[in-house]
Amino acid sequence: MLRGTTTTVLSIVFLAAAALLPACSRANTPPAGTAGAQAPERTREQMIDLGRQHKTASELYQALREQAKGGQRLTSNNQPDWNGVYTRAPIPGFAFDPAQPPNGLPTAKLTPEFHAKMLKRIADAKQGIEWDPISTCSPPGHPRWLTEPFLREFIVTPDQTWLINEMVNDIRRIYTDGRNHVPEADRYPLYNGDSIGFWDGQKLVIHTNQLQAGIYQRSQPDYTDQVETVEIWQKVDDKALGVDVWVYDPPSLEEPWYAKQSYVKLNDPDKNLRIRYWNCAENQNNSVFQTDKGATEFRGFTFTRKGEKP
Amino acid sequence: MIKTTVTALLSIGALAMLAVPGLAHHSGAMFEQVKTITIEGVVKEFQFTNPHSWLLVNVTNKDGSVTTWGFEAEGPSTLQRAGIRRSDFMPGTRLKITGHPMRDGSPAAAWVDAIRADGKRFDPREGFKVK
Repeated sequence: MLRGTTTTVLSIVFLAAAALLPACSRANTPPAGTAGAQAPERTREQMIDLGRQHKTASELYQALREQAKGGQRLTSNNQPDWNGVYTRAPIPGFAFDPAQPPNGLPTAKLTPEFHAKMLKRIADAKQGIEWDPISTCSPPGHPRWLTEPFLREFIVTPDQTWLINEMVNDIRRIYTDGRNHVPEADRYPLYNGDSIGFWDGQKLVIHTNQLQAGIYQRSQPDYTDQVETVEIWQKVDDKALGVDVWVYDPPSLEEPWYAKQSYVKLNDPDKNLRIRYWNCAENQNNSVFQTDKGATEFRGFTFTRKGEKP
Repeated sequence: MIKTTVTALLSIGALAMLAVPGLAHHSGAMFEQVKTITIEGVVKEFQFTNPHSWLLVNVTNKDGSVTTWGFEAEGPSTLQRAGIRRSDFMPGTRLKITGHPMRDGSPAAAWVDAIRADGKRFDPREGFKVK
């Protein structure tokens, strides 16, 4: 009798524990929201349409946030593993949109003024007249930040995620502690702007405003200081991170510019890959200037100069 | 002894160049992208710096004078990804090196390829590939 009762109680406890285990396991795994890991992948055309459905980056961000029911706070148990040294997945040239056809034009739908400006930049470059504003170690600024081909590291914590670009020691701080952007009256243009975000499952959704005008890359269009972006970052597999980005900039874009960016993890078996400090003044031979014609020239070499007798 | 060769790239080679970025920090428009120059010389110094590295090579001219050529490449981490270490080009190392020459005739070029006297080859553009 006693033995039978004990067996029954143990069985109930075991079954209850077995039933609870998956629940405990789920508690350690962030739920997937609408934009979460379980949602079916949208096609490129659907992503482009998603941008068109919202007039501003802020509206798109708020819509994604509402779909995710505000998102979930990360804990030490459910932080995604973005460790490692990454680089942008190689593409021909420096196109902002990797889907740009080889030898074709950028995929952005530009306003006539900015389209003409871009065509002139491309034509000038073919004549050897090209100046890149980062040539003196100015930061690339966002959204150009997404395109640089050097090393990357991504540091995830519950309250902030740091997106690090080797170039000019560049860090974007994404605040995920629930804070909002600074009041409009106190905003001023910044290279990397002001970024807030939330976690939707294992996806980081980011809204960035308060940006400076710039160029997406050489032989790419300009953007103005009205530019804002929405990004969705997620791990694709053990070797890659994918980023869906929508750029809003009414003066230059007739509709939001969508692009899918990819960053791949580099093999580093001997742990020798390091992000080192960048300083253009470190080596005089790296000093360049913009000529009156708008071209790029070296300021002078420490070795034999043109026409100099050895 | 100086051995300088200027050649137009074959079209296949030119297309291959387009598949990888040129100099990623400043424009490479000051270099002749459709020409290459090859010289033989001795390493004077390997300036292993960000954002660009420079390999300085002493070339002995026909009259016995020496010209120092500079070959520009990306910074240390990109070179490292191409398998190029600072210790690979210690002063005094003999090599044959190829690059896109400056448009204005300065003794400098964008480094494309190098072969050391021991036969080992170094292509700095490999640094943008993912392995």
